[in-house]
Amino acid sequence: MSESPVIRVEQLQKTYDKVEAVKGIDFEVAEGEVFGLLGPNGAGKTSTIEILEGLRPRTGGNAQVLGFDPDRQNQQLKDRIGVCLQATNLPAKMRVQEALELFGSFYTRSISSEQLLKRLQLWEKRAAFYETLSGGQKQRLALALALVNDPQLLFLDEPTTGLDPQIRLEIHGLIEEMKAEKRTVVLTTHYIEEAERLCDRVAIIDEGKIVAMGTPRELQQKSQEQSRIDILCGQPMNAAALPQWPDALESRLSEDGKSLTVYSSRPARTLFEIMKWLDQQGMQLEDVHLKRPTLEDVFVELTGKKLRD
Amino acid sequence: MKQYLAIIAMDIKLALRLRAVIFFNFLFPLIFFFTFATVLRGEPGAMTFVVTMSVTLGVLGSGFFGAGIRAIQEREMNILRRYRVTPITPAPLLVGSMVTGWVIFLPYIVLLLLMAHFLYHMPLPSHFFQLLLFISLGLIAFRSLGLVIASVANTMQEGTILVQLFYFPMLLLSGATFPAEKFPRVMRIIHNFVPATYLVQGMQNIMVKGQGLMEKQNLAAAGVMVLTIVGGMLISMKLFRWEKEEKIRGSAKLWVFAVLAPFFAMGIWKWFQT
Repeated sequence: MSESPVIRVEQLQKTYDKVEAVKGIDFEVAEGEVFGLLGPNGAGKTSTIEILEGLRPRTGGNAQVLGFDPDRQNQQLKDRIGVCLQATNLPAKMRVQEALELFGSFYTRSISSEQLLKRLQLWEKRAAFYETLSGGQKQRLALALALVNDPQLLFLDEPTTGLDPQIRLEIHGLIEEMKAEKRTVVLTTHYIEEAERLCDRVAIIDEGKIVAMGTPRELQQKSQEQSRIDILCGQPMNAAALPQWPDALESRLSEDGKSLTVYSSRPARTLFEIMKWLDQQGMQLEDVHLKRPTLEDVFVELTGKKLRD
Repeated sequence: MKQYLAIIAMDIKLALRLRAVIFFNFLFPLIFFFTFATVLRGEPGAMTFVVTMSVTLGVLGSGFFGAGIRAIQEREMNILRRYRVTPITPAPLLVGSMVTGWVIFLPYIVLLLLMAHFLYHMPLPSHFFQLLLFISLGLIAFRSLGLVIASVANTMQEGTILVQLFYFPMLLLSGATFPAEKFPRVMRIIHNFVPATYLVQGMQNIMVKGQGLMEKQNLAAAGVMVLTIVGGMLISMKLFRWEKEEKIRGSAKLWVFAVLAPFFAMGIWKWFQT
């Protein structure tokens, strides 16, 4: 972690009446990092992000965002950050470019609406009423509004929820552009592939607590799950001749002897040995597939829940 | 100031694009105007009654529906939620609503007075600009009241009930739609406690009696409206909610009565006078 993180959270707590939504969490986000908060609905990730955006007061602990206290300096903070919230709307009869110009006027610094519209592929739609935009266009406009003050820190709360896969990929592309521009991004999601693809580090949050934190790869490596290697050969393999592969816990051969499945804790080493053996046996390899444990597997292991529970 | 101007400019554009605003602010009162003006044509004093009724309909519609219901809609549709993440405070949004209502409504008042004069031969009031000023205060006061209702209503359903509870009694008991002189005694007492009464009476004083705004009774009514505007703004800012999930406790509805307190004080004063 860099010496002065963009976000520093210590023992953060949030209580609604008697419900503890956030139970004393700690994390830091470095400049230029894409940090993911991963968790099911009701895990506490939206409460956490809304405290950091200056939208809700915290019940306990400390939080610093861009050097500001979100509770006490929320106007200065809001002027410097970009936020894309879940489920927001604009007036039906507001035009796309008007929205950008209006929201730009709220900040001490803003960038040209033309530049943003072209970048987010909304230039053709600049005169369209908000009510006529598709879901993807509305979400691109939401991202444009989050960028209107040229923020160095962006909060994206479930930016692709409810969008079809094609639009989701488009939004992923835009977030990758923000990452390439060295903007710091805090992203909440319950799409595992989103976190794996976009985040430098992920915190898995459940019932108001962080249950694991690290790069997606570190978290995958912590998993107790085994990697699975699937081999398909042109000829049947002899079950009796199958050796004990290094680091393999289990091997299964299909009835026709052509498909072999091996579970391994060190899949690269095991796969290398399998390839060597197949070559020695003169077997014709038709297909090979390696499946590592996903963040979803890690999440289920840690919380006993599915992400979309 | 940049935020205020941007909000006001956008609110005016949006209002002029909405059919409901055009209908409730212009067409609906105009339908009443032409219907009653045609029916009552030639009766002495009829045109000032028709103009007063049409203006009151417009003012109450603008206040309760234009400001109140629209503010609830924006909260319910998660529009205010989008504003909330920016550095904007409730003040520009509330002031924007007041100014927009006034900018849109004022040309209608002028048009109405000119139509009454040129089409139905109603003499133009000698204190024309004081009348416009008085109506403007009334309009902003009732928009202020509409915004307080929006602040204390948790849902659109609650807001609609509250608006109807105020709109119809004000329309029927203020003397705008039925001459107050014909009310029975009990209704005349209630009439003095109805806020819209002071708008109707002030307009009639200026148009029929040729009084200026500085006459004691009109000045008191204008003062009460100014107090309502200030009180309404302060209460709306205090109770402003950005999100539909932020509910307000039931007792907060009493704030509506707080903003109406100056009118109740006028009612008590009138009661003792009679």
